[in-house]
Amino acid sequence: MYDTGTFIAGQSLIYKLDPRVKLAFTVTLSIFILWASPLPILFLGVILLLTALTNGITLRTVGQSVKPLLLFIILIFLAHALFASEVEGALFVSYLGISLGGIQGGFIAVWRFLCLIVAAVLLTMTTAPSRLVAAIKYFLHPLKFLRVPVDDIAVMITLALRMMPALLLQKKKIEKAQMARGGELRRFGLWVRAKYFLSLVLGVLLGTFRRADELALAMEARAYARGERTSAVELKIRRVDYLAILLFCLMIIIFMALNLFLS
Amino acid sequence: MISFKNVHYRYEPEGIEALRGVSLEINDHEHVVLIGPNGCGKTTFIQHLNALLLPAVGSVTVDGLDTQQAHNHAKIRTLVGMVFQNPDNQIIGTTVEEDVAFGPENLRLPPAEIRKRVTEALDRAEIGDLSLRNIENLSGGEKRLVAIAGVLAMRPRYIAFDEPTAFLDPAAADRVLEIIDKLRQEGIGIIHITHNMAQAVLAERVVVMNRGIIFLDGTPREIFGKVDELQQIDILLPQVTQILIKLRKSGLPVCTDIVNVDEAVGQIQGLIKKA
Repeated sequence: MYDTGTFIAGQSLIYKLDPRVKLAFTVTLSIFILWASPLPILFLGVILLLTALTNGITLRTVGQSVKPLLLFIILIFLAHALFASEVEGALFVSYLGISLGGIQGGFIAVWRFLCLIVAAVLLTMTTAPSRLVAAIKYFLHPLKFLRVPVDDIAVMITLALRMMPALLLQKKKIEKAQMARGGELRRFGLWVRAKYFLSLVLGVLLGTFRRADELALAMEARAYARGERTSAVELKIRRVDYLAILLFCLMIIIFMALNLFLS
Repeated sequence: MISFKNVHYRYEPEGIEALRGVSLEINDHEHVVLIGPNGCGKTTFIQHLNALLLPAVGSVTVDGLDTQQAHNHAKIRTLVGMVFQNPDNQIIGTTVEEDVAFGPENLRLPPAEIRKRVTEALDRAEIGDLSLRNIENLSGGEKRLVAIAGVLAMRPRYIAFDEPTAFLDPAAADRVLEIIDKLRQEGIGIIHITHNMAQAVLAERVVVMNRGIIFLDGTPREIFGKVDELQQIDILLPQVTQILIKLRKSGLPVCTDIVNVDEAVGQIQGLIKKA
């Protein structure tokens, strides 16, 4: 079972890159995805997908990451389709004000969003959480001078990464326990479903609090105390990272030129 | 040596005392099993071992370090490791090696030393092959071994186990018990809570708790010989002892202070030969 964003151990080139380099790439790509015009983003999306597929991430895994966000994706599409600022071309469904231009805008927005998801999946699935946290800690390091508790933030991120799939699993367990007692959500109306949903949320919340309590005790038992900690991860920029940075910069320059040329 | 002197503890200021004047000494390298009915204070007792709980009255010392002194806590927590009942609530890292590194990272050890300890701990817990695996994809038994490895990376002198085989299938439980036995042979002091009497008879010493006090303390043979006292607090005897008691009641001349299968087989073979 692989949950959304969970690290899968592997040996390909992308795994060998320094996590700081990968994090910087992801942030740069995210900005470019949100900023650039549609056509370069279309190419970029294909490149991202090919990179994912050649690094052991299957379409199914990407699909699993998209699934929980499906409602959000539909909303993005509808928002563009229904509320396009300029109604271009012929109206598709005239009484709703949906135009072909709006639908096109919806597809582009959804494509941008999918590109962001693939970029994030590429980062989190090919980077061990401890290495990712070490990279975040590295970039947050200057904030130490402003007395920001960077080490504590790093532990909080570690715990969040650990607990997210665990909470999803707990939600599934409670759901099944409710189903076992006749609480089949799909069979009932909206009001009953809302009530079941509330009891589900309460169940997960109570379980989470109990779990957090025990986890805090377990952390204390292993000598955890707030403040500075060391890390097993030693970050080092190697030749492969320099090569990756060079290729990435080249790719970004090409896409920038493409963006300029096509817009 | 771990020493409890007249320890009292209660969770709520007006609540019932969970520990009521517990005095006990646990020697280095000793294998102590703690048994007793639910709510008798076993977990409260072991959480005093590494200063997770502090006595309201009395004192607990670990190798001479008083748990009441906050500056001793980091040292005490490296001396006494704690394996909780539910590994899901104990494991902090997302992958096995990340979790095992958590303790040494808290001790602020250099990265090379942390990695050395992680490899060593994984080997001692015999899960070196799982090092990069995601915790969520492990079986219950494997998670239990990860929790043990996490504690071993601290290089403790004593390890407290709170029902280490709870919810495990027999094969996984045997694997965990084999590792515990190996650690005992390596010289680590083991304090082990269990409801399984077949596990209790393997210890050097059995401590029976009831309602916050030490009810009985002795070798397995001494403890399980006190049938009436154990029945008072609804503690089941080991199965072999139960069988021998029934044989004795039916008139057969067998000893009833026997706790392990081999001795019981010897007794029954003796009977057959006589017949």
